[in-house]
Amino acid sequence: MKQILHILKFKIIAFLRFDTKFTFNSIIKSFGSSLIYIAFAAGGYFFVQRLFYFLLVEIKIGLFLLHEFISMILFIFFISVNIGNIIVSYSTLYKSNEINFFLTKPILPARIFAIKFLDNFFYSSSTLIMMLFSLLAGYVVYFKLSFEAFLLLVLGFVPLIFSAASLGVIILLLVIRLASQYGIKKIIYGLISLYFLIIVFFFNLNSPKMLVTTVLRYYPFVSKDFYLGDLIPPLIKFLPNNWFAQSAYWLVRGDISFSLAYLFLQIVLSLFLFSVAIYLGHRWYFKTWLLNAKLSADFVSRRKENKSFFNLENKSFLKLQSESIVKRDLLMFIREPSQYIHFFVLLFLIGVFIFSVAGIKFVGLGNYNLQTMIYLSLFLFNLLFISTLSLRFIFPLISLEGLAFWKMKSSPVQNNFFLKSKIVIFSSFILLIALSLSFFSNYKFGIVLTVFSAFITLLAAMTIISINFGMGGLYTNFKEKNAIRLSSSQGASLSFLINIVYMLFIVIVLYKPLSGLFLSIMIKRPFDLITFYWSLIPIAIPSFILIITFLKLAANSIKKDF
Amino acid sequence: MLELLNLEKIFGNFTAVNRINLKINKGELFGFLGPNGAGKTTTIKMIAGLLSPSFGNIHLDGIDIWLKPIESKMKIGYIPDQPFLYDKLTGKEFLFFSGGLYNLSKERIKNKIAELSEQLKIGDWIDKRSEEYSQGMRQRIVIASAFLHEPELLIVDEPMIGLDPQSAFDVKKILTEKAKNGTTIFMSTHSLNVVEEICTHVGIINKGNIIFNNTIEVLHNLKRENNNNLEEFFIQLTNEE
Repeated sequence: MKQILHILKFKIIAFLRFDTKFTFNSIIKSFGSSLIYIAFAAGGYFFVQRLFYFLLVEIKIGLFLLHEFISMILFIFFISVNIGNIIVSYSTLYKSNEINFFLTKPILPARIFAIKFLDNFFYSSSTLIMMLFSLLAGYVVYFKLSFEAFLLLVLGFVPLIFSAASLGVIILLLVIRLASQYGIKKIIYGLISLYFLIIVFFFNLNSPKMLVTTVLRYYPFVSKDFYLGDLIPPLIKFLPNNWFAQSAYWLVRGDISFSLAYLFLQIVLSLFLFSVAIYLGHRWYFKTWLLNAKLSADFVSRRKENKSFFNLENKSFLKLQSESIVKRDLLMFIREPSQYIHFFVLLFLIGVFIFSVAGIKFVGLGNYNLQTMIYLSLFLFNLLFISTLSLRFIFPLISLEGLAFWKMKSSPVQNNFFLKSKIVIFSSFILLIALSLSFFSNYKFGIVLTVFSAFITLLAAMTIISINFGMGGLYTNFKEKNAIRLSSSQGASLSFLINIVYMLFIVIVLYKPLSGLFLSIMIKRPFDLITFYWSLIPIAIPSFILIITFLKLAANSIKKDF
Repeated sequence: MLELLNLEKIFGNFTAVNRINLKINKGELFGFLGPNGAGKTTTIKMIAGLLSPSFGNIHLDGIDIWLKPIESKMKIGYIPDQPFLYDKLTGKEFLFFSGGLYNLSKERIKNKIAELSEQLKIGDWIDKRSEEYSQGMRQRIVIASAFLHEPELLIVDEPMIGLDPQSAFDVKKILTEKAKNGTTIFMSTHSLNVVEEICTHVGIINKGNIIFNNTIEVLHNLKRENNNNLEEFFIQLTNEE
């Protein structure tokens, strides 16, 4: 224990010293960061209250349904944290130079495992926990709960994330052990299929549509806040995401004993999974480290470089310099499993979303306010997808140049040309996805909104891409090779918060013209489309300013000394 | 060919390079010596375009390389002390990538790779990803990438690190040949033997200041005056400062 604390102490010292140079730039940067954090915390706080007001007062879904929706969102959240932790843990526990350093020192591998596990958890989850505080504060204030209730909610949520992380590392240990027997490819494909099946199974068992339909059958006869626990499928009741939602529900209903019971389950599960992870780490970590080294060596010795489409030896229509940069980036992307696997997972989720919204019938007819909210919710979801893609694939772009950036810097390539070549491919993909999202979530609303949305989504996507590119430049870390760690760093969190503030700004600006449009449609009054399109201006001007500012930030970042 | 005029680099309140002046003519193989932290790599990075000077100028054929970076970089080949490559690219891909940055045609890169593979003995593993390379292999790929566009000025930072005796011999041979053919070489090194063996001119930097700048013959004379021991002379010189 003394050794673990000793290492953690120096890790904390190193972490705190990372950005504590008191230069003018660093002070401005820290001040800006604090402002954005505060803005986001406040935004999250008010957003939750406004959303709950809308769901509970305006469309009256009731406490039970609200918490079941929270449970479903938390399930996706749990899976995301879990998968993210598997990928990050692999690179930090098996591939990092720090591990090589520790393994040459008289430290038990099990201790190295524990240190890196905790390091990963706190490094990746600090922003999540910060965001959670503001959201939970909004929740507590909306329901007029006490400060103790807030603490109980935090006490329930942190173990939920911890369980996801612990489960992730357990799966990782199992994967490496199984891969040594059955081959890495089989196990990886098996694991991906398993996750897909789990998600599909969860939503089949716990379909939101089915739940709403069933609950609505009860509503004329029971209070909308009535607990309809029998409607929750038995299997779902064993999931920690549901425990959190149930604990929160009973807290709001004032039944503290039920709430504490679910909280107890949450903490016990988290401790259990952590203990299993530590136990397996103690037994297997060093073995799996050796196995992984062997597997990697075997894999490398069998690997044949296929002459891919991006082969640098082939001629292309691009300029020679562009071709070099673009093909290099694409080659590095398709050869990095954590990059392309994550990309396909996100594409799958986007596909599921498109499939779901494309089938949605236009509900809420007769209530223009509800129509506006549905429209804006879909719009916000689209922007969230774009933001996630940008954060994950645009933000790390400059940092991923890595320590080999000396080659670019010492080559006769214009800085702006380099940046253009770098951003063009990945942003084209994201813009294409943005357009698809916009089309499929809008075509049911008619041609006017489809075209309008396409414009605004493209503009917003370009802005979000620029923000992430610029922030990625501002927070460049050439030493970090892992794109996932880069996109969960402090700079990335800030970038995400700026995205959120920007997205909320668009939604607020759009509310009035959109509700006017829906009202006109409802009362069959002619609508002045010109005025409607004018509403783009208050969005376009700040967007262009943001695009220029953040692209300049990216350009300045590569002028820095290397 | 290469002129450093009052070149200075300050990091915070530390002066790494203190207004140094140097002139290296075409075809010279200039050995840049100095103890650790003397300012060798900082100087080299300023010439290569990786660090901006705090003061002073760097002229290449009369052109300020920080005013016309693209034009100047076309003439420069740079070999860093740490041979970082893109792990996921093969050596050959890295060379094609490097050649593309200098707008070299595919055909020319291909021919050049064939020639350099022979010279630097990289043919056996050029198609493997660089994540599998040893330090020496990486170093040789980096050297090859610097030679691809046949630069007029070659800036080399510690070229022998990680090289086995045979590779070190090959590199020394190539550098000597390049200099004979008119390439100007600015080479920083810790190895006094390498300087003695291949350089035509020598500069010694200590605590950011140039304390010696002359031909190798003058250095040999000074060595003779110091009991034929270059190491002792170097230590004495750098400790005097």
